[in-house]
Amino acid sequence: MGYPPQPPYGQPGYPQQPGHPQQGGYPQQGYPQQPGYPPQGGYPPQGGYPPPPGAPGGYGAPPPPPPAPVATFNAATLPDDDNVNPYAFSVNLNGQWFIQKGKMIAYYGQIKFEALSAGPLDALVAGHFHSPLYAQDWVVAQGQGKLLLGDRGFDLNSFDLEDGNLTIRANNLLAFDPRLTLKQSIIPGFLTLLGTGKFIASSNGPVHFVEPPLRVDPQSLLGWADLPSPCHHYDHSYMRGVLGMARGMFGIGGTSGEEHQFEFSGQGTVLMQSSEQVRESPAMLRELEAQVGMLGVGGLQRLNQVIGQRLSAEQGGGRSSGRSGLMDLLD
Amino acid sequence: MNGPRMLAVDLMGETIRALNGSMVAYEGQMQFKRQGMTGGEGLMGAVRRRVAGESVTLMEITGQGTVYLAHEATEVNLVPLQGDTLLVESESLLALDGQLRTGVQFTGLRGVTTGQGLATTKVEGHGTVAILSDGPAIALEVVQGQPLSVDPQAYVAHRGQLQQDFVTDVNWRTMLGQGSGESFQLRFSGHGLVYIQPAERGDGLGAEV
Repeated sequence: MGYPPQPPYGQPGYPQQPGHPQQGGYPQQGYPQQPGYPPQGGYPPQGGYPPPPGAPGGYGAPPPPPPAPVATFNAATLPDDDNVNPYAFSVNLNGQWFIQKGKMIAYYGQIKFEALSAGPLDALVAGHFHSPLYAQDWVVAQGQGKLLLGDRGFDLNSFDLEDGNLTIRANNLLAFDPRLTLKQSIIPGFLTLLGTGKFIASSNGPVHFVEPPLRVDPQSLLGWADLPSPCHHYDHSYMRGVLGMARGMFGIGGTSGEEHQFEFSGQGTVLMQSSEQVRESPAMLRELEAQVGMLGVGGLQRLNQVIGQRLSAEQGGGRSSGRSGLMDLLD
Repeated sequence: MNGPRMLAVDLMGETIRALNGSMVAYEGQMQFKRQGMTGGEGLMGAVRRRVAGESVTLMEITGQGTVYLAHEATEVNLVPLQGDTLLVESESLLALDGQLRTGVQFTGLRGVTTGQGLATTKVEGHGTVAILSDGPAIALEVVQGQPLSVDPQAYVAHRGQLQQDFVTDVNWRTMLGQGSGESFQLRFSGHGLVYIQPAERGDGLGAEV
């Protein structure tokens, strides 16, 4: 038996992203050119594993070459602050980094993970992490070693910020250097980074850089840099008539899902991902909960009704676009 | 035809074992046989499996031609074994050569956090194993004096002379819901290779401690 040749994945031929134009101040680091991954560390004796006896290779074809082995690394050969493959990033940690909870996939060396509420971190957190809403989702990794990050198999990219500001979807920000300062954006679900330093973000599919003016689908928006905050834009036709009124009020009905956009104007760059997949985030829930405090008795009763309706709809008829109704109501 | 997410196997009358339902296409003459109750591990093996809750349902494929295997568009990685043992999460196993033996290995506490039960699947012998990973797998070498810590949700498989420790970092903060989120780690020391995937299993609300 012979497994036919695998394409050389895990080898230099990773789909290299077409070099994005270097955006002013935000050079996206290209994936490392990996000319023949570092030498396979001798374990196990790979290469040319002998086909089992009596196994001719395929139909009269020459015996297939051995399949490409899985890319192998050790603490010394893992890249320094660079991608291991498009979906994993290796940070050469020497000191402290902020990382989102649960994004560590492996590490070598002496690294400790501390919750932001840990006492000794007070000064660092006070100076660089201004978002109580998200504090529960972040930890500080401290120590020395190589730290590998991954996020749901999404593409990871590192970005260098030079005395700039960049706002990014909170769920897609994996880690940042403590020289940067994090603040909460006015747009719910987004975080702003200020200053100079490196951060790592994930995207579902490669990142695209676009220039305003433009309108984007909120779900495929990854972030924006050097721009004023976007406005909401609604297509008027969806609000027209009695039915439209009902949709606007209840956030239900036959909407196409494309009637609401974020509108950007001004000078700067908008970052897009080539997918509309976003994950329900615990922070979103906390944000909504926090806003409930602003409602009076009437509002609470109304919300209670709406949630009841949504719940019965969800439990009755499949799990579709989970929270969109509630979100529309609160937007 | 066979990208990194599909495995094509040329068969000339031999037998391979593959995950039930993973066949997407085949050419030539193939016979698919669901493995009986014992899963090719004998009665004791079946009992151990039942006790351990480590379920892996494999089918036998025999014939002449090419069979194409895939599972939920996850990446396929080939691991050649030469008499050594590979321990792999049962849900990451796609296919293996007929000569390889499988069994159950008890792993203790680790399985509890990854939600895979108390045991893992052991594959030993000579031949090739195809394992699945969400995103291309990365093999990390462990040498003496340089332990590796892995998020249990990103762990796929390991081989070699490795000790596996379950590191907990639980303290009163964890109880208050202010834990570091990385409270449970697998620490491997010794000499060997650990395969990980760049994604965490079972993500979503409440999946993290």
